[in-house]
Amino acid sequence: MISFEKVCKTYRRGGEELRVLASLDLEIPAGDFVALMGPSGSGKSTILNLAGGLDTADSGTVSVASETLNRMSSKALAQWRARHTGFVFQSFNLIPVLNAVENVTLPLLNTPLKGAERRKQAEYALGIVGLSDRLKHRPAQLSGGQEQRVAIARAIATDPDVILADEPTGDLDRDTANEVMELLVRLNEELGKTILMVTHDQVAADRAKRTLHLDKGELADGSAA
Amino acid sequence: MSGTPWFLVRKHLRVHWVRTTLTVTIVSVALLLFCILTTFVTSLTAAVDQAASNRIVVQSAVSLFVELPLDYHGKIANVPGVESVCKLQWFGGYYQDEKNSFAQFAIDDEVFLQQYENDLEIIDAPPGDGSLLDRVRTAMRADRRAAIVGEGLADKHGWKIGDPVPLTGKIFPKSDGSAWDFTVVGIYIPKRMNVDDQTMYFRFDYLEETLTQEQDQPIGCGTFFVHVAPGHAIDEVIANIDALFVNGPQKTLTSTEAAFSAGFVSMFGNLPLFFGTIGGAIVFAVLFSVVNTMLLAARQRIREAGVMKALGFTNRTVATLMLVESVSICVIGGLVGTGLAWVLSEGIRGVVSVMFPTFAVAPQTMLISLGMSLTIGLLAGLAPTVMLARLKPVEALRSEG
Ligand SMILES: Nc1ncnc2c1ncn2[C@@H]1O[C@H](COP(=O)(O)OP(=O)(O)O)[C@@H](O)[C@H]1O
Ligand SMILES: [Mg+2]
Repeated sequence: MISFEKVCKTYRRGGEELRVLASLDLEIPAGDFVALMGPSGSGKSTILNLAGGLDTADSGTVSVASETLNRMSSKALAQWRARHTGFVFQSFNLIPVLNAVENVTLPLLNTPLKGAERRKQAEYALGIVGLSDRLKHRPAQLSGGQEQRVAIARAIATDPDVILADEPTGDLDRDTANEVMELLVRLNEELGKTILMVTHDQVAADRAKRTLHLDKGELADGSAA
Repeated sequence: MSGTPWFLVRKHLRVHWVRTTLTVTIVSVALLLFCILTTFVTSLTAAVDQAASNRIVVQSAVSLFVELPLDYHGKIANVPGVESVCKLQWFGGYYQDEKNSFAQFAIDDEVFLQQYENDLEIIDAPPGDGSLLDRVRTAMRADRRAAIVGEGLADKHGWKIGDPVPLTGKIFPKSDGSAWDFTVVGIYIPKRMNVDDQTMYFRFDYLEETLTQEQDQPIGCGTFFVHVAPGHAIDEVIANIDALFVNGPQKTLTSTEAAFSAGFVSMFGNLPLFFGTIGGAIVFAVLFSVVNTMLLAARQRIREAGVMKALGFTNRTVATLMLVESVSICVIGGLVGTGLAWVLSEGIRGVVSVMFPTFAVAPQTMLISLGMSLTIGLLAGLAPTVMLARLKPVEALRSEG
């Protein structure tokens, strides 16, 4: 499902170059649930962004959902993201001026669904995350855990192949974090979503099927959960 | 397949209602001022634009305030190509109080009503048979003191058909200090902008006969309005009239009605330039204020733009939403300001009617105003739009905004 081959990524800021990934190989089959761990600044988010088509590699091949992302135009990448990926961020990133159901409806505008169908689908997704009673609440009126569940509903609303989560429990307390992990496990086991999750949290990582450790641009297989 | 979430524009306008209200207010006030200032200029020049093409005006070459001898009337009438000649003399009186000054002209009633058939429309006349115009024509002939008045003037003083209107003459005071007596026999509305609804026209022979009794010196007339017959070159008729009086006793200056009105307008100095500069400066200042507001709005939306892009919205869609928001705010402001100008112009006309009797916001002015609001919206939205379009999703998501 996700495949990196000899992927290099170097950031340039000012005159300085920072090589984050040097010839990285990575293989995540469909239906897998991978936790990506590693020290801060090791390149975890970079891998996630490359896999989600938010950024492009300098060299090497990134293939996700049987498409090669390297040479795609920004417009083609946007359309590809709309079809194949769902993002979950550490800081939720809901649109503050929209309520829960509108936030979840948003990505459905990039699908062929009509207005009423979009609404139904959004409500269905919010049902999956257990927020059917919070449709009209704005992000500011929700708790952190609820916000993240709305964000997960938004990520799965378009029924993507891959869910990319960047420290999804980073801003949550233990109990809420457990709820969110429970949800991700269900998405993986019941809906068969392939999940790549960056985390610092060993408890969260333990819920994944396997853990990869990233250090100085090198991947090491960790113990399977 | 990619839909555009237009509702996001509505949400932003509503949630940031303070910003929306302030910006709409600023734009609407600017365009209100623009419309009003422009209308001062257009109502001055409207008379020029709408002048009858076959009408020429004969005046003294010295000045508008020097009278021409009355026997010029017959001489002008004999010039080839002259269809009709109407005397037109400024009276300069007031009604009851000197504050109630308005334009009054002594005219040859029959010729005048015929020459101005397309310029004004009679809307009230004494009872009788025939059309309103016919009844006014008859009534004017029947009564030496007959006068027709514009609807606005009649409304202002509550004059009806048959009402007496005594005017005190400032240029032509009666020796015993009494007022001139007039009777309203017709009320008109302007059909073209060279006529306003604040004027009174009365019989020249009433003026002539009364003055002849009062004074020994021969009386004259300020202007002769001449209609040129179809098929005759206006320039030639003008040249022939002026040639007639080249050796006096009074040299004449003959011009088209348009040129005559333009000469009148220039007495106001360069008002158009002055008002144009002020109007332009206001709109310019507002443009910068709106640009600043929209840039601020865009900066607060960087993260949202990143999220939208992550969700698969294209750069174009994200940028379009920003531009539409800017344009919406400004066009709403344009509609409010232009609408206000339209509503308020009636009241303003009441106040400035002596100098600007035809004060009315022209449809063209309203269109330009709305066009400017659209332009302000586009210009103000441009930089924020480009900024959000160029933003890389990763960088947008990394930002604090
Ligand atoms: N756009 C960028 N420009 C410059 N440096 C960047 C950029 N993005 C990330 N980096 C740097 O690359 C390194 C890896 O970043 P990241 O992938 O976010 O690390 P992690 O998520 O593992 O903490 C960090 O040192 C970070 O500062
Ligand atoms: Mg990171």
